[in-house]
Amino acid sequence: MQPQSDATGSIYDLGYRRYDGVRLGRQHAVIALYLYTLRGAFGLGRRTSSKIIPVIITVIAFIPALVQLGIAAVASGVVEIFAPENYFGYVQVTVALFCAAVAPEIVGRDQRARTLSLYFSRALRRSDYAFAKLTAFTTALLLLTLAPQAVLFVGNTLATKDTGAFLRDNWSEVPRIVSSGLLIAALMASVSLAIACQTPRRSYATVAVIALFLVTTPLAAIFVRETGSWGHYAILLSPFDLLNGTTLAVFDIVPDPDTSLEIADLPAWLYPVVTAGYTIVGAGLVLRRYARIAA
Amino acid sequence: MYAGFVALLATRDLTKRYGAHVTALDGLNLELEPGIIGLVGANGAGKSTLIKILLGLLPPTSGSATVLDLDVDRQGPELRQFVGYMPEHDCLPGDVSATEFVAHMAQVNGLPRSAARERTAETLRHVGLFEERYREIRGYSTGMKQRVKLAQALVHDPRVMFLDEPTNGLDPAGRDEMLDLVRRTGTEFGIAIVMASHLLGEIERVCEHLVVIDGGRLLRSAPIGDFTGQTQVLAVEVEGDAAVFSRRLEALGLRVKAEGRLILVGIQDGGVFDQIRDTAVDLGVGLVRLEQRRQNLEDLFRPAVEEGADAAAV
Repeated sequence: MQPQSDATGSIYDLGYRRYDGVRLGRQHAVIALYLYTLRGAFGLGRRTSSKIIPVIITVIAFIPALVQLGIAAVASGVVEIFAPENYFGYVQVTVALFCAAVAPEIVGRDQRARTLSLYFSRALRRSDYAFAKLTAFTTALLLLTLAPQAVLFVGNTLATKDTGAFLRDNWSEVPRIVSSGLLIAALMASVSLAIACQTPRRSYATVAVIALFLVTTPLAAIFVRETGSWGHYAILLSPFDLLNGTTLAVFDIVPDPDTSLEIADLPAWLYPVVTAGYTIVGAGLVLRRYARIAA
Repeated sequence: MYAGFVALLATRDLTKRYGAHVTALDGLNLELEPGIIGLVGANGAGKSTLIKILLGLLPPTSGSATVLDLDVDRQGPELRQFVGYMPEHDCLPGDVSATEFVAHMAQVNGLPRSAARERTAETLRHVGLFEERYREIRGYSTGMKQRVKLAQALVHDPRVMFLDEPTNGLDPAGRDEMLDLVRRTGTEFGIAIVMASHLLGEIERVCEHLVVIDGGRLLRSAPIGDFTGQTQVLAVEVEGDAAVFSRRLEALGLRVKAEGRLILVGIQDGGVFDQIRDTAVDLGVGLVRLEQRRQNLEDLFRPAVEEGADAAAV
């Protein structure tokens, strides 16, 4: 670098230079987009107002875990209100709100700002872009579905007098907690992105995502209660019921009496299978959208 | 300067149709060496379509294309590590700073995180963004946004940059600065540039080579000098009675035509210069100007008939 003198005095030219370093290619590009999207889901690297909603909703998802730990501290583990198998039932609306608020940011923002042409002219393919968005949003949702459960488990472990015994008794729950958390996060991410990516308009996407989660549950309940055996399958159209059924199936627990799940009385294995099916279809719709969208 | 690459880009029977009726590119065959290349054509001539196909943003209907000897379709991600693109339209998110965005774009082009950060600072300084680079993009002026668009195309040190109407929306001063930046980037750093513009003045100032497409077909591809070469017409300006002067030249058998204060004389052979000089001496008029006319880029877009008529008239 040479000192450069000009009319404004002597300044150092720290300007453009050629780059001879490594180029890490497609895989690195996908990881970079994944991390950037994950940070963006919580408004990191953005202005404060972008952080408020995702952070508040995330904190709300932890409240049942913290309440349970508080109860456990006072009543020493006698009362278990929030357990791993029913945790999702308490936070399902919170997680749906997070999807409605954040999914349009994850996939609508680049369409609104027309940034897609910059991504698609870089070292990745259109399918890579969709893949990074899907995995990043799934990861973000794990912070709401899995992380509170982890807090609960660790808290309960530390609260018991005999930690070793608690771990021996409850260790088998860990794979169930992880797999149900993963199934919930994957389905909700895939389905909400499949809806949100269809439009650059934020408001449309938000309303459509929230409608899918909140309107389907009472509709399914009506079908299940008022119609015959085939109407019971309508419960599979409600993501909340589907995911609660999946969780119960994973924990091998029967549904509470007089719930839609109990009345529908479908085989337990059906729920995780349909959950996986929806997740795959949702991801397929996201891939299809980005294969066709003009950039 | 452009070591390692033989051809900058090549297309073979490249065709792009939209639906049954619109043909944007019609069997385009093009081969270009690295340099600063201007891509001109009327609106709808196929400039943007060509650039988008070369970037892998659009699939061609038929035909093939390579950039830096890599197939744009099959070797897309590998190729695009070495390609920069500045679109015509807005493409920047408003809610992040230029630093944050450009560093991210560098990483999506394969640069490691630390290198991306470092080069972002250098590149933003190169395009003339300083302290404001930490502010949100939404607060930027059009000129600043254009600079960020250029920076994101340049940050990963591409071998070739595609610029689509880079001076779009800029005021005259901003236009000058942008063109200067593009020219310096091409000449000082040896980055090949393909710049699409419908403003011939801009192309003339920046580019070394010109590609003219019309109706999706190649009209002409040649060094810019060939387009602005000398014509076989002399422009003469005299102090005195121009009408008498013209008549005297006609009497000598020369083809003469008046154009405002100028007298245009066709060059039939080298003797014309002497004949004009002698006539001026004879008539005692002052010879103010005697120059061989240069072709103007605008002539390209004059209907061929009119051009032919002009030449015949002189």
